Amino acid sequence: MSGDFGREKDIVWDLVAQAQRRGARAAEAYFSEEEETGIEVRDQKVEDLKIAREQGVGLRVLMGRQPGFAYTTDLSGDGLVRLVEEALANAAAASEDPYQVLPGPAVYPENLDLYDPSLERTPPDAKVELALRLEQAGRSLDPRVRLTETASYEESRYRVVLANSNGLLAAYRGAHCGLSAVFVAAQDGDHETGFAFQYRTRYADLDPEGVGRQAASRAVEMLGARPITPRRATVVMDPYVAINFLGLLIPSFSADAVQKGRSLLADKRGRKVAGGAVTVVDDGLLPGGLASAPFDGEGVPCRRNLLLEAGIVSNFMHNSYTAARAGEETTGNAARGSFRSLPGVGTTNCYLQPGGEHPAALIRGVGSGLYLTEVLGMHTANPVSGDFSVGAAGRLIENGELTAPVRGITVAGNILEWLGAIEACGRDLTFLGSTGAPTILVGRLTVSG
Amino acid sequence: MAQGADFAEVFVEERHSTAVVCEDDRIEKVTTGREVGIGLRVLVGESTAYGYANELSPEALLGLARTVAEAAKLRGGGSAVVNLRRTPVPYELTVLRPPAEAAVSDRVALVQRANATARREDPRIKQVMVNYADTLQRVWIANSEGDYVEDERVRVRLAVHAVAVAGGLLQTGYEAVGGFSGLELFERQPPEEVARTAARRSLLMLEARPAPTGRMPVVMAAEAGGTMVHEACGHGLEADLVQKGLSVYAGRLGQPVASPLVTVVDDATLEGRFGSYRFDDEGTPGQKTVLIEKGVLCGYMYDRLTARREGRPSTGNGRRESYQYRPLPRMRNTYIAPGEHDPEEIIRRTQRGLLVKKMGGGQVNTTNGDFVFEVAEGYLIEQGRVTAPVRGATLTGNGPEVLRQVDMVGGDLGFSIGVCGKNGQGVPVSDAQPTLRIPSLVVGGTAGAGEAEAATGGPRDSLSGLCRSGGGR
Repeated sequence: MSGDFGREKDIVWDLVAQAQRRGARAAEAYFSEEEETGIEVRDQKVEDLKIAREQGVGLRVLMGRQPGFAYTTDLSGDGLVRLVEEALANAAAASEDPYQVLPGPAVYPENLDLYDPSLERTPPDAKVELALRLEQAGRSLDPRVRLTETASYEESRYRVVLANSNGLLAAYRGAHCGLSAVFVAAQDGDHETGFAFQYRTRYADLDPEGVGRQAASRAVEMLGARPITPRRATVVMDPYVAINFLGLLIPSFSADAVQKGRSLLADKRGRKVAGGAVTVVDDGLLPGGLASAPFDGEGVPCRRNLLLEAGIVSNFMHNSYTAARAGEETTGNAARGSFRSLPGVGTTNCYLQPGGEHPAALIRGVGSGLYLTEVLGMHTANPVSGDFSVGAAGRLIENGELTAPVRGITVAGNILEWLGAIEACGRDLTFLGSTGAPTILVGRLTVSG
Repeated sequence: MAQGADFAEVFVEERHSTAVVCEDDRIEKVTTGREVGIGLRVLVGESTAYGYANELSPEALLGLARTVAEAAKLRGGGSAVVNLRRTPVPYELTVLRPPAEAAVSDRVALVQRANATARREDPRIKQVMVNYADTLQRVWIANSEGDYVEDERVRVRLAVHAVAVAGGLLQTGYEAVGGFSGLELFERQPPEEVARTAARRSLLMLEARPAPTGRMPVVMAAEAGGTMVHEACGHGLEADLVQKGLSVYAGRLGQPVASPLVTVVDDATLEGRFGSYRFDDEGTPGQKTVLIEKGVLCGYMYDRLTARREGRPSTGNGRRESYQYRPLPRMRNTYIAPGEHDPEEIIRRTQRGLLVKKMGGGQVNTTNGDFVFEVAEGYLIEQGRVTAPVRGATLTGNGPEVLRQVDMVGGDLGFSIGVCGKNGQGVPVSDAQPTLRIPSLVVGGTAGAGEAEAATGGPRDSLSGLCRSGGGR
């Protein structure tokens, strides 16, 4: 993938100019390209290999105060003319909106180290080898590990080029790679799955043996799992489970959700909603972060924002639109998946800040309760009301020790109640993609089985 | 091919999509997209190589072909002669008013009708979000077996999300309609009706009490939709999971896996349904496949790859989200066939329990069959009568166990639509069921555990195999 952006810069500049010539008051063109490699192995053979490349451009225009958007993968001259026509026609059908503004040029942080050239230099065979080692490590951990559901290597390399009618023109490239594994352990007719993931910006940081062993041991530890009777219990959540819950809370920090009356935190800025151990950070410049970038989806420099500081709601996330509407400054949180979408409001690298305790010490401190390692159906929880009722699995905590595995249970409550009940955070901050959390200790939750 | 590949396939796709979003009483987004892409697949033994690109220059395509061939451990440069023959269209699916021929303003008008209706419903409705989307997808599929298919799929979808607020409580209501259809869908299911249902659901949830917790009888109304059948057995009957030993239903053909009252069908041929199609994404004609007949497991859902492994024909379940993905066995329109009980009688004969009037999303671990789904609208049943609405309930169970328990099946049938996720790919599906009773299911609610025991008087994103589906808010 080239680091030279000549052709793409011409395309985005030209689109902005064409739109203005055709009567747009303002315009923004966003080009993105992604190259993907995926390798899936099973039983020490390559089962699936994927190699892909896609690119396209999205155009946002303002006709007076009416916004319009269109995208295309057709980068020919005719394709781009058609793109401008569609975006303008779409604007004509939209409502007037006084808060539509585009940012101006800015100075961006350099040396973010987003692109590891060794990803390109490493031959595909070496990446296949990595996936094979991952599977081998998991399958050989214990004779009860019987099946590989997934053992894979993935890699994504991308480039972004952005221009707007305020004279902004900027570009960057980045990449990340990752391993994921799901194994099935079996004993006496009981089948249990265990998973693990690892995503990094540097190829050399991947640890296939560690990921393989973690997934396999999670499967083995669940063997013999049984439901339990309904109770109120103190719960320790492992980082993956904590990330799932954090994911339900995060949309409430979006200024867009606040302004449209679908944020639980709308009236809670400056108010205490959690204990002093709870701090939530969104950091677009995090070293090694998967979502780190010099600028956000509309060209505003990325930065570090504290969303929740020692239990107090400190800030909401803004893009240019929500900032204009609130009369504030954008926080650099314009989120954009690809050329196919308009910039919304979203996180960069968002995490629950770790505390000082070893996870084992948290568990010992609980005495009796539940240790959760899996949730099922988290996406069915309601981010607007904050109510959740999810399937879960994990282990019992008895006398400060992990004992029998449990599954088929549900954990229910409200995300604000969850937030307020976090008593302590472990020191094991773990990221799943660009969201992170440590092991956490949550006071009492309703559990049924 | 000349170099020893077992199967090669080209999938070319052109997609035009239009989306309209209304929120805050404003038409906030009107967007259109045009996309062309090509996916190339080569099978050698048990290995698949897949490549895609959306830059369609001859150089780019040759480069792609070479890379995919190399990935499949072939030497590039070979050629093979394949006589393509066009596969006849197996049946028609009618589209009367293609959205592509309508003006953007026509779609905007549908959205405005929904928005205005929901807002008028009650002053406690504080926010309304309306999402409209249509797609025109043209596909050209050719493979080394000589099959050639050209097809066109037209889908429309309208979803309304209402937020109701009272006394510091924030509740939401959601309703969506969609189909393999043109804009005529909205003559049968007007935007006003969708909006009213969503708005009323959010208001109802304001008055609902926290759901009970614990085991209890559950009646699922036909209008509740089919999330349960989708999760409890649908995914477990997809042949890739079965062949890898990742399904509780593996190796159980011919065996009873459900109550004799339960017949499960997956059908691509239904007129107007969201999961319908004429050809699947490998060019196999769509069909109706009976999966469970009177409780006995009689078939799985196959794509070409999984069918080849067993030396049998594909059931036409090979689907992919777009040219960016290889096909997988996926559901279409999945339903439990209607039975003979009177739906009202099913409720009358239930002393105490939960009535599910609308299901939300769900998820399943196919390996052990454990599933969970959300109750979007639920009521208590007391002494055979429907009483107070409840909120925040989730039902968990184990597929085979729950299906074996079903003891009453109504004569009605209700559909719901969703986007089903598997291996990171979303495809449009619909699910349906008649009114059903399950004598004992775990309800996870937010009411205190002690309270629940008194009330009942007794008793993974992109994890493969873990499905995500449902309304998609």
